[in-house]
Amino acid sequence: MKFLATRVLSILAAIGFSFLVQKLAEGQDSFTQQLLVLASLYVTLSVSLNLINGITGQFSIGHAAFYQVGAYAAAYCGTAFYPNWHGSPVVWLLLMLVVGGIVAAIAGFIVGLPSLRLKGDYLAVVTMGFGEIVRIVVQNQKVLGESGGLSVHPHLQQIWVVVLLAILCIALCRNLQITAHGLPFLAVREDEVASAAMGVNVTKTKVIAFVLGSGFAGAAGAAYALQLGAINPDLFRMDQSFIILTMVVLGGTGSVTGSVLAALLLFYIPEKMRDLSDVRLSVLVSILISVGFAVAAVRYVINNVHKPIKVRAAYYAGITAVTAVVITILGKILQLVPAFQTSVEGGKLRLVVFAGVLIVLMLIRPEGIFAHHEFSWDWLLSPLKKKRTKLPGVSA
Amino acid sequence: MLDLAPHLLAGLEISTLPQQLVTGLLIGTIYALVALGYTMVYGVLKLINFAHGEVFMLGAYAALLISWSLGYTPGNSLEHGSWMALILMLIGAMIVCALIGMIIERLAYRPMRNQARIASLITAIGVSLFLQYGGQIFLLNGTPQNIDPKVSPFYSSDPTVGNIQLTIKGPNKELLAKADQMSSLVDKAKTDYEAELKLEGGDEFNLQPKGKELRDLYRKEQRDLESAKNDANKGAILVNLPKGQVFMLGSVLIIMVGLTWLVMFTRQGRAMRAVSLDFDSASLMGINVNAVVTFTFALGSSLAGAGAMMAATFQSGTKIDTFFGVLPGVKAFVAAVLGGIGNIPGAVLGGILMGLAENLVVWAGYGGYKDAIAFVILIAILLFKPGGLLGSAKVEKV
Repeated sequence: MKFLATRVLSILAAIGFSFLVQKLAEGQDSFTQQLLVLASLYVTLSVSLNLINGITGQFSIGHAAFYQVGAYAAAYCGTAFYPNWHGSPVVWLLLMLVVGGIVAAIAGFIVGLPSLRLKGDYLAVVTMGFGEIVRIVVQNQKVLGESGGLSVHPHLQQIWVVVLLAILCIALCRNLQITAHGLPFLAVREDEVASAAMGVNVTKTKVIAFVLGSGFAGAAGAAYALQLGAINPDLFRMDQSFIILTMVVLGGTGSVTGSVLAALLLFYIPEKMRDLSDVRLSVLVSILISVGFAVAAVRYVINNVHKPIKVRAAYYAGITAVTAVVITILGKILQLVPAFQTSVEGGKLRLVVFAGVLIVLMLIRPEGIFAHHEFSWDWLLSPLKKKRTKLPGVSA
Repeated sequence: MLDLAPHLLAGLEISTLPQQLVTGLLIGTIYALVALGYTMVYGVLKLINFAHGEVFMLGAYAALLISWSLGYTPGNSLEHGSWMALILMLIGAMIVCALIGMIIERLAYRPMRNQARIASLITAIGVSLFLQYGGQIFLLNGTPQNIDPKVSPFYSSDPTVGNIQLTIKGPNKELLAKADQMSSLVDKAKTDYEAELKLEGGDEFNLQPKGKELRDLYRKEQRDLESAKNDANKGAILVNLPKGQVFMLGSVLIIMVGLTWLVMFTRQGRAMRAVSLDFDSASLMGINVNAVVTFTFALGSSLAGAGAMMAATFQSGTKIDTFFGVLPGVKAFVAAVLGGIGNIPGAVLGGILMGLAENLVVWAGYGGYKDAIAFVILIAILLFKPGGLLGSAKVEKV
């Protein structure tokens, strides 16, 4: 009874939260609303990729393909069937989410099958190849508008739907991690042979992960198509997959909260960078060099973990100070060189930031910010509480 | 729903096939050069160097900048190409790429060597993205440029001078002889008509009945001659080989022979093979593993540089931008997998097959799918023969 009550309450809370976001967003301008929608979509995408990459350990870098499949499914259905639709547009939107999800899940099933034979980097390359094949095939189909793309009917934006979709995706992944249903996924990630020996159906688990992950990406794609109003194959290039991948890797493969936070962070910062009208090349060069210094220093500290905490703290403080000093001094010096005076548009820096995050992260913390753990307030509260023994149970 | 069926077998024209095959072979040699870099790095480190395509791109930029500094700038270009310029561009691109490859290895891959392989893969993706998008800021603001084709001494705006024409199957001799006979008829009709024209006062638009008759006869003979010539040429199969690309093929072959010699018959090559066989044992046997890895990266990257210089110089109209290396990089990777990754002859075979496959797709009328074929081949080969054509049959169990 208590279980049922919690379920119902949490579902109601999720729906209530989505409508609250919708109400709050209605007062804002359309640009903010669009950012909100995109942020929720990126959260959905990165959490669903995390289901494949992090929780099940199947390294896939073609997530944009499923996103694209969902978007095109919704766009195609809109042109073909929407004129005869007599229900309300919102119902149509929900229907399209389901359709996009199902079509993308079928695509995920097709990609999941080769994953049974491939591992590691080869699987990565095959998923990337699948993404490109989907894009090129779409580009050459008259029905799908070739490279010009399709305009989507109806064009409608419902913030609560995308927020609810993100919550649904997060809830699914979280429940997989804390219940027995998710154990096979974690087992496959840790050791395929051992989990097969323990009776886990490895094939089934991997395919389910691909189907679920790509289904959510497809639903996100359908929502994206409907809120954008027009789609074309260029929106789903390889870069898109890499952006989603960066979010998952930054948050920590296997950490749902990590993916959510990283998705929001990596979505927000580059969007802000679009507003930067111009950046001096000299500043960029000095930032580049000082980041290099900082990474080298942090790696040095990591390699000397046995040092006392005070020494390490001093090192970190030193790194920050040196980095700041290097940026300022180098920036000032480079300002004297005329060749470095050209300014760069902030928008051009977006993907450089993603690339930089990937490299720096891999060099200093390859497991991501949260690694396999979830975000919690325990570390903040722990000094206040008495030490207690950890409860036995499933740990993510 | 798919638009494939109507095209099926529609555009197959046998007479253009040899030309496409030759073009494919020439492009394939470039893929082969780049694939060698992938295969050597994979052989030694078991790492897919995703940034190899970007090294290729930087090599093209190096060649471009060298050609500019030699005076072949867009606005004010020298008229004649020189061997010296070509060789300087080739060597310059190779050196620049070797340095870049070594830097990437030292800064990005070496710290990752003890981590999981996926971590190195993500780093490689990061480096590749960084070079693509960072390059847009630092390299000529990302504006596409092309190397002036006049830099090549083989270049000529006249295709009959710049190309070697091969005749595989000449025009039909009998029909050609007939056409020759007809051309004498045409000449006769022409002189008749011109004589009559002079007689009637030279006004072409105001002819007497006899003049009109002669004019019509002359035009008819001319038309017949044209169609006879067409008939004679219908079965002919001609192949155009741009001289620059023949030079390219020659240099690729020389590089490959040199590479095989280096890997098979020198001390350094033996060290490379030892590291490739077993990383740890090789280091126990006193091989400086880091030096070998650096050398491998330098060698592989310089090959990419050579390939980039040739691709950018001898394929007319190639625009260089920071994404110049993405597709050749991916295709060369597929070539390496196709031939059996880690296998040097396999990479060459795979590269040439890739070039051929791509041009056959174009020949069959699916030009839009030209770039997809690489991935289709990749997926097929990984599913059905993961070791590649020449690779070992051992399936990797990780």
